[in-house]
Amino acid sequence: MTTPTPGGLNVSFDKHTLANGMRVIFSPDHAVPVVTVYIVYGVGARDEERGRTGFAHLFEHMMFQGSQNAPKGAHFQLVESNGGFLNGSTHPDYTDYFEVLPSNKLALGLWLEADRMRALAIDAENLDNQREAVKQERRLSFDNQAYATAVVERWPELAFDNWQNSHSLIGSFEDLDAATVEDVARFFKTHYAPNNAVLVISGDIRIPEAKELVERYFGDIPPQPRAEAPDLSEPPRTEARFETYHDRLAKVPAVAMGYPGPPRRSADYNALIMLDLLLTGGESSRFHQELVKGKKSVIQYAANLGWPFSSPADYKDPGLYGIYLLYNPAFTGDQIVAQVEEEIAKVWNDGVDSSELDRARTHLRSSRIQELQSSHARASLLGRFELLDGNPEYINTELNDILAVTAAQIQGAAKQYCDPGKRIVLDILPAGPAAPQEDR
Amino acid sequence: MDLSKPPETPALPLYKLPPVLETELANGLTVLLVEDRRFPMVTARLGFQAGSKYDPGDLAGLSESTGALLTEGTWSRSARQIAEEANGIGGSLHGNSSADLLVLSANALCENLPKLLNLMADVARNASFPEDELELQKQNRTQELLAQRADASFLADEKFIELLFAPHPYCRQDPTLESIARLERAALAGFRDRHLAPNNAVLVLLGALPPPEQAMGTIEAEFGSWQRQKLAAAPPAEFPEPRRAIVLVDRPGSVQADIRIGRLGVPRHHPDYFPLLVGNTILGGGTSSRIFMNVREKKGYAYDAHSAAQPLKQSGCFTVVTQVRNEVLAGALDALLGEMKLICTQPVSADELEAARNYLSGVFVIRLETQDGLAGQLAAVRLMDLPLDYLEKYTTRVRAVIPDDIRAVAARYVDPEPASIVVVGDAAQISGQLETIGKVTVEEAK
Repeated sequence: MTTPTPGGLNVSFDKHTLANGMRVIFSPDHAVPVVTVYIVYGVGARDEERGRTGFAHLFEHMMFQGSQNAPKGAHFQLVESNGGFLNGSTHPDYTDYFEVLPSNKLALGLWLEADRMRALAIDAENLDNQREAVKQERRLSFDNQAYATAVVERWPELAFDNWQNSHSLIGSFEDLDAATVEDVARFFKTHYAPNNAVLVISGDIRIPEAKELVERYFGDIPPQPRAEAPDLSEPPRTEARFETYHDRLAKVPAVAMGYPGPPRRSADYNALIMLDLLLTGGESSRFHQELVKGKKSVIQYAANLGWPFSSPADYKDPGLYGIYLLYNPAFTGDQIVAQVEEEIAKVWNDGVDSSELDRARTHLRSSRIQELQSSHARASLLGRFELLDGNPEYINTELNDILAVTAAQIQGAAKQYCDPGKRIVLDILPAGPAAPQEDR
Repeated sequence: MDLSKPPETPALPLYKLPPVLETELANGLTVLLVEDRRFPMVTARLGFQAGSKYDPGDLAGLSESTGALLTEGTWSRSARQIAEEANGIGGSLHGNSSADLLVLSANALCENLPKLLNLMADVARNASFPEDELELQKQNRTQELLAQRADASFLADEKFIELLFAPHPYCRQDPTLESIARLERAALAGFRDRHLAPNNAVLVLLGALPPPEQAMGTIEAEFGSWQRQKLAAAPPAEFPEPRRAIVLVDRPGSVQADIRIGRLGVPRHHPDYFPLLVGNTILGGGTSSRIFMNVREKKGYAYDAHSAAQPLKQSGCFTVVTQVRNEVLAGALDALLGEMKLICTQPVSADELEAARNYLSGVFVIRLETQDGLAGQLAAVRLMDLPLDYLEKYTTRVRAVIPDDIRAVAARYVDPEPASIVVVGDAAQISGQLETIGKVTVEEAK
């Protein structure tokens, strides 16, 4: 349990560890009769081996193909027919699954997650079927979408040198085709064990009852030897990189740029989050006012520590401070990069005045309160903070750490990390007239 | 302990909405106040009957641009000041337009409610539509539209609503390159003056509010002097008779065929709405629906296949949506048309009905977890002319639907015989497959 903090957040929770090593977090909130069951496994695309790219994501698909007592289709059917919804997603460092249900259906969500953790149905038919589904997803969501291949596949290759960090999350068709039932079974046994998972139950629950259900469904699932953690370290960067990508589906040019970032949870990490807010947070931010409005050179942008993933919390280090800008075709990618760095240089040279910093802090605090309104968002943050940081209390205290950053720290971090000598740029240009994508 | 079967769980829990305090100012502004102390925030919606259906024929996108530019300058605040004030009170402020409505959406930390209301009233009443902001909006919207037009799914939706609704203005919900070029300050100001009036608006305030008399005092101070207007009538609710039309929008080189099949539906206040909603859930509303199970899971034709019963204020549309590989188009059409016909002719099973009722009732409550979710629902009730007990009775009305109701409404809105069919894809590759179901009109992708 927690006490109020300067950021004003007070999400209460209780953490337990089962005998098999599974960590469980309970976070009660009785406002609406809804419960989220969220389970996150400590395995993602960065755990994959050469020749087996796309495995983490393929495996996420397999998790919906049925298990010992819940046949194919049962996950969807049971959750929806009990008034809820569900999904799963694959990330570089973790894979997560959730069910949001009316609160008195908690037992159903736990039963479903436990059944597939205990005994997933891994057979050739399911594997073939999902291999095809992943290929179809790739055709639809990547090969047929502007910018997707550049950002999801080319960008990490350009930005990282260590194969663990740079290879494709969605995987190649060759590697997917090469996957065998034995590979998938081994992957399951190694990574989908209770001692590699964090379970979070948030919403309208009573802890004693929830605890009993968790023990009943998960208590006897055996632990497995832990896999060796992959080496994610990057060699020191000594040069800037630039590449042009010709995108047949894009109509408007875009540029992705990035700088190698600081270690997760360091003082500089918090300072860079604050710098990002000043540059890109809300319509009062410098990019919106100076680039979108003033120079009329940028149309839209997205940025954060960890981009292209959606928040710094999504990514273990080494992450990048990534900035993505869709720009007016009257400008060039070089000009846009120069304009961005001019804005960053203003922070180095002139610092940040207190009213701007206060506004950014208020914006941050309010965004976090907004985010914490749903039981799913609370569960997801608690689970990921436990898995990636070993500290779910960050759900309340991370905000304080970031609010405490000073103007001088922001200035220092901007100077140290946003170094043009280490900058990575991918300029994405429309490749001529509407040439639709070929199938592969 | 038997782990081989899913656990028995009780019926869905009941949920009572928080009380809503409704008032009308002398100038006709409807105000809804809802106390929600779960978070130290306030969420606001100021909604107007001023959506794209009010755009003049040659100025598609006028409502959208007016909404976007409300927050880009007033007679006393620059765009930068508005942005800084909104972010500085821990919030955001945006104007968005849909087919029926133009809505200003905002939020802030609760201690800043008076500042938020002052800002909202200023942008709603005094927007100045600065020339340079309009030029920027036009430039960026043009680029955005070019990007949208490269997307097969955008082209499919565009052609589909045109077939369904023309000549009613629901038939176009996005601007054209030409209409963007024609937008001028005077047109935006004129649209604001005609439609953004207190007697055409609903203000919803939700969150950690001060006592009602204090909140109403602030609202009166900010909005009380706003003048009532004579309001423009909505376009007549006249829609074409349903008829079978098959249009192939040619997009050479496409490896996928983007499919839309559907008909006019109904607004939320129509007695057929709930049976159609439940029937749609069974047919194509989720990942255990008939269409999803058949087209994706059984046949493996598509990554996604679903249907939707979208209500509009004066009508609605029922649509089946999927994207398939070129070579399986005929098979996919056959499966989709077959499922549409089946639900018109045979009663749904008791299990399917129970599952759909539970799904709709459960997800309805889940969506009320956030202030945005609840504020959106409350605003919709008042702006779409729904009965005051609509949200309270939602679950009851979902549960009251029986198989005969579904068969009856399916015959009126789902039966594929007079349905419009749009396919966007490479005509050279797929027109033969499409001609097997009827006469096809081929159009070039614009």
